[in-house]
Formats: sequence, C-alpha cells, structure tokens
Amino acid sequence: MEDYIVEMRHITKRFPGIVANDDVTIQIKRGEVYALLGENGAGKSTLMSMLFGMYEPDSGEIIINGKSVKMRSSNDATAHSIGMVHQHFKLVDNYTVAENIVLGMEPKKRALGIFPMVDMKKANEEIAELSKTYGLEVNPTDKIEDIQVSVRQRVEILKMLYRKADILIFDEPTAVLTPQEIEFLLKIIDGLRQSGKTIILITHKIEEIRRIADRCAILRRGKLIDVLDVKSTPSQEMANLMVGREVSFQAHKSEGKFGDVVLDVQNLTVQNSAKFDVVKNVSFQIRAGEIFAVAGVSGNGQTELSDAVYGMLKAHSGSVRLMGKDITDLSIRERCESGISYIPEDRHHTALFLDFTLGENLAIRRYYKEPFSKKGILKFDEFNRNADEVIERYDIRSGQGRKTTVRSMSGGNQQKAIVGREIEEHSDLIIFVQPTRGMDIGAIENIHRQILAERDRGAAILLISLELDEIMELADTIGVIYNGELLKIAPADTLTSMDVGRYMMGVKDA
Amino acid sequence: MKKKELKKSRLAALLTHEKWGGVAVPMLAILLALITASILLIVMGKNPIVAFISFLQGSGIVPKAKYGGGQGILTDLFTTLNTLAPMLLASLAFIIGFKAGLFNIGIAGQMLISGFTATVIVGYSGLGSFIAKPLVVVVGIVTGGLVGAIIGWLKYRFNIHEVVASVMINYIISYGTGFFINTYYANMLTRSMQICSPESRLTLMNVQIAGMKCNIPLGIVLAIAAAFIVKFIFDKTVFGFELKAVGNNATCAKYTGINVGRRFIFSMAFSGMLAGLAGVVYFLGTYNTILPKTLPGMGYDAIAVAMLGNASPIGAIFAATLISVFQCGSNYMSSNLGVAKEISDLITGILLMFSACGGYFQYVAQRRVSRERDLLKAAEKEKEGEQ
Repeated sequence: MEDYIVEMRHITKRFPGIVANDDVTIQIKRGEVYALLGENGAGKSTLMSMLFGMYEPDSGEIIINGKSVKMRSSNDATAHSIGMVHQHFKLVDNYTVAENIVLGMEPKKRALGIFPMVDMKKANEEIAELSKTYGLEVNPTDKIEDIQVSVRQRVEILKMLYRKADILIFDEPTAVLTPQEIEFLLKIIDGLRQSGKTIILITHKIEEIRRIADRCAILRRGKLIDVLDVKSTPSQEMANLMVGREVSFQAHKSEGKFGDVVLDVQNLTVQNSAKFDVVKNVSFQIRAGEIFAVAGVSGNGQTELSDAVYGMLKAHSGSVRLMGKDITDLSIRERCESGISYIPEDRHHTALFLDFTLGENLAIRRYYKEPFSKKGILKFDEFNRNADEVIERYDIRSGQGRKTTVRSMSGGNQQKAIVGREIEEHSDLIIFVQPTRGMDIGAIENIHRQILAERDRGAAILLISLELDEIMELADTIGVIYNGELLKIAPADTLTSMDVGRYMMGVKDA
Repeated sequence: MKKKELKKSRLAALLTHEKWGGVAVPMLAILLALITASILLIVMGKNPIVAFISFLQGSGIVPKAKYGGGQGILTDLFTTLNTLAPMLLASLAFIIGFKAGLFNIGIAGQMLISGFTATVIVGYSGLGSFIAKPLVVVVGIVTGGLVGAIIGWLKYRFNIHEVVASVMINYIISYGTGFFINTYYANMLTRSMQICSPESRLTLMNVQIAGMKCNIPLGIVLAIAAAFIVKFIFDKTVFGFELKAVGNNATCAKYTGINVGRRFIFSMAFSGMLAGLAGVVYFLGTYNTILPKTLPGMGYDAIAVAMLGNASPIGAIFAATLISVFQCGSNYMSSNLGVAKEISDLITGILLMFSACGGYFQYVAQRRVSRERDLLKAAEKEKEGEQ
C-alpha cells in the first residue's frame, strides 16, 4: 500500500448556485510535489481551502496520515502540520518580518520574572536561523511595507515553516513574480521537497508543472478529470484536458500598420493620497494601430498611470493629449466622449455594478444618450436590444441572459462583459489593465484575439499587464515601469523576456 | 415526513421567486412576528385573536363594539391616515437616500425645521386656505431640501459622513427651534408652540361624514402620489438610474462618468424635500403645534418602515400602513385587553425585528433551492446511466 500523507475522499462542496467540488478524490504521497491544474473556477482553491480548514466540505472525508480528521478552522490545519501560502498574502504591513512570522505563537519571556512579554530577540534569531536553513533570505527586522513582493512571499513560506508544517500548499505562487523570481521560487520548492516536505501547488501554468511537479491532478468545473504522471504526459495533452478541447498556444499577430499619434503623454506625474509621487515624469506616445504594453512588477505605478490617463486620478503635473486635444483637465465623461475606453484592473470595484443586471451593465457607456434614453426617460427596449447583441457577439454566458444579476456570474464572464462593452465603443484609445487576470486559457485566447482585432482596426492600445508572456505575445512596443518611472521604451522585437525581466527589477541601461 | 419536505421546498421556491419573493419575504416576517406575539400574549393569559382584532378596531379597520357621541369607524380610520401620511413620506425620504447609498438619519430634524419654518411663515400669516395650504407644502419642501442639500454638500466638499452630519444638524435644529419657540412663539399655558391657523393646516378638522366626525388628512394624497413618483424616478429615469448607480458602487459610478459628488447633493436634497413634506404634514396636519426641543420619533420609525417595505416605494405604502395600524390601534388594544401600552409597542418591535431578518430568510431559501436543483440533476444523470 502507498504511503499517502493526505487523502481527500469524495469531497463535495456547494455554494449558492454552483457545485465548486463534485465528488473529488485525491491522494497525495509523502514527499512529492502534487500539482492541481485547472482553469479559474475549476475548484482548485476551494478544494485546498477545505484542506486548510477555511470551509467544511458538504460531504466527503479528509484523511491525514491515515486518520480521518475534521478541519474546522485553519488552527486545526496548523495542528495537522498543514500550511498554506495564499494568492493574496496575509501579512500585517506595518509589522516586521519576524513579527509577522511569529504572530499567534510568539516566543514568550517574563520581564522581571513576572510580566509576560514577547521575546522579539529570540524570534529574530529563530527566523534568521530558519531562513538560513532553507535558503530563504529575509531580514527579520524589515517592515513588510518596505520589502518587495517576492520577499513577502518568502515571509509567507517561512511562516509555514515556523509552524512546523510538513504539507505546504501554494496557491498560484508565481502570479505576481518576474521570470527571475519564478526561477528562484521553483528552486526553493525543489529544496523543500528534498528536505522531506510534501508540496501541493495550485496553478494554471503548465510550464511550472513541467519544471517541478511529480504528479498533476486536473480539475475541470469542479470535477476531477484525471491524475497524470507529469514526466510521461505531453504539455499539449495537459492543456487539452484542462480546457476540455484543443487549444493553440499562439495568437496570430499580423504585421503592424501604425498611423498618427493617438495618445501623447508628456512628463506625467501622479501622486497618491499621501502626496507621494507614484508615477514620475512619464512620457510616451501611442500611435493608431499600435499596442503599447507596460510591463512591471505589481505596485510600481501601473494602476495609477492608467487611472490618470482615464481621469480616475488627477495628474499632478504634465499633460495627456488625445488626438492632439489636451484632455488633462477634462472630466471622465468628457474623456470617454473624446474616445477612450477603459478595462480597469479591479473589475468588481471599478467596472461593474454587481447588483445591476447584465443588460444595465452593458449599457452604462450610453444610457444617458439617445436612443438609450429620451428627455431623461430610459428606453429599456434599447437596453435589451444592445444587451442581446453584445451577449451574442462576445459569448457572455449567464443564468438568465441580460436579466442576470452580474454578481451571480463567473469572473470570466464578467470580464467578457466588460471587454465587450468597452470594445463596442470603438474608441480611438483602449486601455486594458490585466485583461486576462484570473481567466482560463480558452478565454485568454479569445480576449487576445479581440485586442489584436482592435489594433488592426486602427485603435491605439495601452496594455498594462503583470503577465510577461502576455506582453511578449501582444506588444508592438514595450515600456517597462519601475518605481513609477518608465525605465525603458523599445520596440517589442528588440527585447527578450529576460531583458524585460531585468528592467522590471530596476536594472538600468549601462 | 415527505409532505413536510415538499412544503418546505415550496416555501423556499416562493421566497426566492424573482417576482413574488419581494412580497413573500415580508409576509413571512409578519407571520412569524404575529406567531411570536401570540405566544407572548398567551403566556400573559390573553387571547391573541382578540388582541389583533383590537388593533384593527382601534385603527378603524374593523368596527368597535360601541363608539362615543358623533364618532364612528371612519373617525378612527382617518386618525390612522393622519399617522400614515407623514410616516409614508418620511420613509420615502429615507428610501431615496438609501438607494443612493446614503443613510439619512436626519429625517427627524428635517421634519422639525420644515414644520417650524412653515408655521412661522404661513401658520401665523392669516392667509386664506387656497393660498396658505399650497404655500405650507412649498415652504416645507424647500426647507427640508435645503437642509438635505447641506448634508450632501458637506459629504461632497469635506467628506463628512452623512450620518455624523445629520445627527449634529438634528441637534442644532432641535435646540435652535427650541430656543425660538421658547423665546418668541411659546404658548404660555401649554409650553408648546402657538398653534397654526386652521387655514394653513393640512388636515381638515371635524368634517362630518355619514354622521361621524372626521379629521381628513390632505397629506395622504401627496404621500401616495409621492410613492408613485419616487417609483417612477428610480425605475424609468436617467436621474434615478444614476442615483442607484452611485448607491450600488460609487467607484464604478465615477468610472461611468457620473459626477458622484453632485449626485450625493441631489439625492440628499431630494430626500430632505420629502422629509420636509413629511414635516409639514405632521406638524401642520396631524398636529397643529410643535413641542420645543423634541424631535419627532417618526423620523426614526420611518427607517424601520422603509426596511420592512424592502426599500421599495410601493412596499413602503404597505409597511407604513401596517405600522400605522399597530401604532394607532395600540391604545384601544391595551385598554380593551387590560395590558400595559408597552406590550402593544413591544409587538410592533417584534414585527420590525423579524422584518430585519428578511435577507436571512432569502439566503436560507436560496441554499435549499440550489441543493435541490443539484440533487435533481444527479438523479437525472443516474437515470440516463441506467438506460
């Protein structure tokens, strides 16, 4: 009999309206790297959240080290030596690295032999030691807010190790990293395996699985499709199983035909609410028919840059011109009317009214104009006609068509709705921020095709993405942003992804 | 056992029904409240059926056993309408703010200042009925609207939360008007504000209908009309669509190109206008005087009424009616059954508590419905497999 450290048998979990996991059974061997591959919404994270005690399964059984256990909270999981690095880090920003790691199980001492106190000195020493053992370099006394994303991830890993976790769950760990950082992380994971840990890797990137995993379970729409041995399965087959049909990896991109300058940004500086410059003196131009992609590690001023071009944030200094017209001081509505469409990063908070119907959400660009309204009275026939058209054209799937409340739709379909609505404006400038974040391969393919179609139509496109693959695939021109500055602007075909990765880390040209 | 399950799933289906859920959920809340109140009354040794009928008798829905001279069922019914009119207007005022994401807790203050201003300007003027009554309405709307607009502007300009601003303004209004009433307009005998002229009053006093003396509130017409106007604005107009948009997600409203700050001001002004109207209907209608330094409790009850009515204008008509019936019937009920008046207020409280649980009922029902749907699908699949 195999030595399984974790078994999850016949797990079923329902949320209102969907079955997130449907009779899923996985068995994980001690000391292996076990990957969970699946599109977004396939139920990978839900499955692992149950193992980590954040949800309880509706039915099914969890067996750790041969014993059936109930996971009621993450404390139970910790007690069973399970640790998890979440996709969004759970760290206290204004605490130090060591404080974050020991939080909840601080080493104690008694001052004057009476008063219990946290022994920070001991904690710092322990952390330094731990970080040396596993090659996870951190400075225990740095504050989280001062360190880079990749270092924060190390802190999360150390947090698990400090709690003596033997089963380590990583939820999409590479989503926020540069190529160089990904290399490093994969090495660390490999090292952890060699020191006897069992690792569960949630991902939708096949290359990573190739590199590191021993076995791979494929989930699709909540069901377990197959468990594969990674070495003996070709990548293409994994991709097909994951999506459920044939996929091609390359979008077809034609030769660019560039026209006049559409967007002209000169010396733009944007401040955040603390009066700190988050975009510094940025200048660039985008021509008609050109995709200008901004690459950079998350949090280097990308969001602020796009918000400032669209008008969500005020420019502190500098100018933004659209088709030769100065739009720096125009309102958002005036900018839209001048020809800007915007697919923002945060679709839930910025681009959708979650409690409105799909039909209403598809009309928010035009509701105030004829024929959507006349003399201040809304014309719902026009709303419906418009909605049915966009739903059909962009293959937006939902429970009840245009009458569906957007909140009840899946993330991918919400994104399709936003992209469809914005593209239908046929604007001169379209800003895409993270257009495919959290989407599956099939839907990504589709959105990339639409972006390229808009480019070929002659729109200027500002693409901001954290996915370097996406940038390399689509961009005509690449600008790399670091710490609010555009460090490098160059035609895409003169740069390799390794070059871009270097600039993303802040390395300047010699 | 099976039958019980079937009934449960029918109930769940009804509560989550797209069209009827909005009615079924408050109905369930009322039913549960009545059951709870019944248990309370039975424990006290009273007959709950008699109690509920007494509520209806006291508020003029069901005839009483006997009436005093010149009085009748219509007398009681119109008294209830006199409570209903300002209650409905005030809850509509709340709904307007609420839909735009603003919590207008200053309705009481807006009612008070409008009632005071209208009394001072029109109530003592000696103008004739046909000029005075419309003028009272206009003064009420304008005053309430201005106060609302100030609250909205404070939020827009200085980012002061509307709850904080309205609570503070409530105090200013309460003590400010109290000062003027006590100094200039007090009736030395009653210590209340001198009464407004009958010409300016929005309730026609002592009208004989079928031999019964009735006080007819003109405000009820305004209130019902206002409910339909508010419904029309939110359902059909660009303005209402934008208010809802701001209320649902202010960031997205900004992204859409809506001037969010200006919508805050408009929405609070609009809310204040209806609160002001409620104020004049209350202080120059239901009553004809103002107690100094006392905010009308109705300004807060209106929030609960709006919630019971599912924050919908038409729902508010029913909710306000129900609460008015309970409030106006409570005197008769307590004297008829020989229980303290607090018990009848407690029953109203139980009702409001259950109505606040509406969202939870719907959530439970939704879970049940989706679970059954899954089971059904699984069963169908098995069948297919067998074939």
